[in-house]
Amino acid sequence: MENLSIIILFLFVLFTLLGTGVWVGLALMGVAWVGMELFTTRPVGDVMLTTIWSASSSWTLTALPLFIWMGEILFRTRLSEDMFKGLSPWMARLPGGLVHTNIVGCTVFAAVSGSSAATLTTVGKMSIPELRKRNYPEKMIIGTLAGAATLGLMIPPSLTLIVYGVTINESITKLFFAGIVPGLVLATMFMGYVAIYSKLSKDWHPDAEPSMTLSEKLANSRFLIPVMLLITVVIGSMYLGYATATEAAAFGVIGSLLLAATQGSLTWPTFSESLMGATRTSAMIALILAGAAFLSLSMGFTGLPRGLADLIAGWELTRFELLMVLLVFYVILGCFLDGISSVVLTMAVVEPMVREAGIDLIWFGIFIVVVVEMAQITPPIGFNLFVLQGMTNHEMSYIARAAIPMFLIMVLMVFVLILVPDIATWLPENMRSGPG
Amino acid sequence: MTFLRLMRRGLDGLYLLSGILASLCLIAILSLIVIQMLARWTGEVFPGAPDYAGYAMAAASFLAFANALNRGSHIRVSILLNAVPDSVRRWLEIWCFGMGTAIMWYFVWYGQRFVYWSWKFNDVSQGQDKTPLWIPQGVMLFGAVVFAIALTDHLVHVIFKGDHRIQRDLADQSMGE
Amino acid sequence: DKWDMPMAYSGSNFHSVTGAEFAKCVTTGTGGDIEIVTHPSGSLFPGAQIKRAIQTGQVQIGERLLSGHQNEDPLFGVDSIPFLVSSFDEHAKLFEIAKPHLEELLATQNLTMVYSVPWPPQGLYFNKEVNSVADMEGVKFRSYNNATSRLAELTGMLPVTVEAAEISQAFATGVAESMVSSGATGYDRKVWESLSHFYEVDAWLPRNYIMVNSDVWNGTSEANQNVIKACGEIAEYAGTWRAKEYTGFTMAGLSAGGMEVGRAGDQLMGDLKAIGETMTAEWLEAAGATGQAIVDAYNAAE
Ligand code: NA
Ligand code: NA
Repeated sequence: MENLSIIILFLFVLFTLLGTGVWVGLALMGVAWVGMELFTTRPVGDVMLTTIWSASSSWTLTALPLFIWMGEILFRTRLSEDMFKGLSPWMARLPGGLVHTNIVGCTVFAAVSGSSAATLTTVGKMSIPELRKRNYPEKMIIGTLAGAATLGLMIPPSLTLIVYGVTINESITKLFFAGIVPGLVLATMFMGYVAIYSKLSKDWHPDAEPSMTLSEKLANSRFLIPVMLLITVVIGSMYLGYATATEAAAFGVIGSLLLAATQGSLTWPTFSESLMGATRTSAMIALILAGAAFLSLSMGFTGLPRGLADLIAGWELTRFELLMVLLVFYVILGCFLDGISSVVLTMAVVEPMVREAGIDLIWFGIFIVVVVEMAQITPPIGFNLFVLQGMTNHEMSYIARAAIPMFLIMVLMVFVLILVPDIATWLPENMRSGPG
Repeated sequence: MTFLRLMRRGLDGLYLLSGILASLCLIAILSLIVIQMLARWTGEVFPGAPDYAGYAMAAASFLAFANALNRGSHIRVSILLNAVPDSVRRWLEIWCFGMGTAIMWYFVWYGQRFVYWSWKFNDVSQGQDKTPLWIPQGVMLFGAVVFAIALTDHLVHVIFKGDHRIQRDLADQSMGE
Repeated sequence: DKWDMPMAYSGSNFHSVTGAEFAKCVTTGTGGDIEIVTHPSGSLFPGAQIKRAIQTGQVQIGERLLSGHQNEDPLFGVDSIPFLVSSFDEHAKLFEIAKPHLEELLATQNLTMVYSVPWPPQGLYFNKEVNSVADMEGVKFRSYNNATSRLAELTGMLPVTVEAAEISQAFATGVAESMVSSGATGYDRKVWESLSHFYEVDAWLPRNYIMVNSDVWNGTSEANQNVIKACGEIAEYAGTWRAKEYTGFTMAGLSAGGMEVGRAGDQLMGDLKAIGETMTAEWLEAAGATGQAIVDAYNAAE
């Protein structure tokens, strides 16, 4: 029963602070403080400092600002135009036409960007106007973009996976490789939906593309070379073991600086804006991580996570039932919280449960990512909705409705992951047999 | 009046300076990692590189907190804030900045004890760098102080001027997602 | 009273199992007067923070690998001088001699030692057969602190820094070709996929120490102190026994994985002993009179 009062108190303080608009990182610190003051006799302030110092000065965390910086640099290059030019000739003949450039573009850019919103803005700033010009249904343009951009979180690099890996102390490289196949599967499912929709829908009559010869198509593909090189360097160096995730991120920053320089878009203003932007964004995540580290310590002192894990173990749920409970729980949480906050906030409680149930933590990382991806497009708080609102001036409800099919496809993806867990675990288990 | 204006300028300068220092720490992280890789390929060792990168990470984060706050990068749940009328909103903002200010000054108070003890115990890094820990921890403390000042600054502004001085930049905020 | 006891290693590790039994023993023995709650896997504090957390009273009790704090005082590294001891028994002898000095040092840091359990002995992993130090020339060797870097230097190997989490990958991709560690590390990381030889050289046996905040300890009744001490003795005995058992288990595991496991040859052992003498001398330089007294007493007892 003591557990119950602790839970109610934690939740009450948490919802009050978060709901009234206190910044997430600071709110977590506040909750942690209340919990420790009330339920332990330990010196709260000293514990807070020890924990936050140790969480903030972590070496593994350095991959985070570097991948963010890389995305900031690429956002300021001509990359999105080049990708559209390179991809569209190949997509024009597919059922669904150029809407596929949204999905494939996001998939490609996801391989150099760790964030969903960055993927969305970079791909969308080119594809939205181009697709509108060709009379594609607006709902499809917006919906597929909102959904496919979330691949930025699953296909490596991924900020969510870095944060997850740091929180549960698992290899970030392994988590990255676990995301590749599921990311491609999800992209294929999106494309399948577009193809089917284009065949069945009555309001599907986009302008036809001028036909191109194979050599013209190939010539246009040269625009894809820089981004492909960058992907090869970043992911390849990790796969072959030449670089850790952090080192690959460093390659990525240097690579994107070079790419920007060759395009002539590397000016002092773009450089300093990208740097300051990356600094701020990584500080934002660092504040949340600091608060979460303190909160999880505070909960550790109260014994709550273990208590809850034991309680749920006592219900003797099957693995599948547990995952369904977690799915519903995270979808609800995702309506109100951003992905990184909901991961760090819940891990202290969820990790022991998942371990207890014998679920592979690398696999679970991918499960979490799919769920966090959904959170990006569910109202009222969904960052992709915000970003698209800013880009298109549509009502948020319109964008959210356009994204519903993508949300359902992601739900389907969760079941695919549960039925065929190998799609996440095979690659990380086999990457060390790579050459070298 | 001139005093207030001077203070305004001084504070804005402080936030900017601290933000610039943070971005230099980011460059330091990049350089450290590159040097470490180069060392490994050439059969050299760069002892303590991961530890230095860790300190730079903490410094980059804490020094940038204030700048990130001023630019609206820190995430908050703004459903209620957007739903209420302006008069209520002002009280809500006072509450938020009040909480933030209290939490950060609390952090600063224990932070100075933390750094002082590291210095007093002669706490050295357990890695190959053997850095006296009060130095990187002192940088974290400095960043926390600037952040606490910035929160106080906004709080005072909400109380007397009716609104804070954050320029909300949603694109900036969403880059982390 | 509830005592929180942070421990750095996973719940299934033998140190954590021993700690959990110790906690239960104290809780029962004091009739619930003192209830010790263990927090394994670094779930409360990570290893590096535990000593300071006890020192400053953030927790009452905790477990830490003290040789991690060598930078602070070389005496903390007394259990990790390479090739000074070469078996569990010799190691136990060294520890008996060093114990009062360590306790004195810990007392100045507001810490009281309760018990201490060794890790399995550290051996050398290679991706080829090695019969002498000359064979090690140019091999890429994983270093993680000053002592292992120095060891690489003295044996002519190339030190490469590899974090614990990256070990498997580093060997698989040839970033590293050798390391010094216990059989347990190699067993846990399945290094037989890329390495071929494990030499039992018993380079050193680092120890985990269970320490109580001295203010807390002094505020504990004598009866309860005696219970804790008694439980500590049982735990130390049981833990050491487990360390020996586990050594055998991991050796068998490495063999089963396909590695050549065995004692180092005379030539190699002799070469390493010589390097050990150099490193002992260097340690003595840093550790001063106390260190000298310990090593002298140990050599005299040999
Ligand atoms: Na990505
Ligand atoms: Na949402």
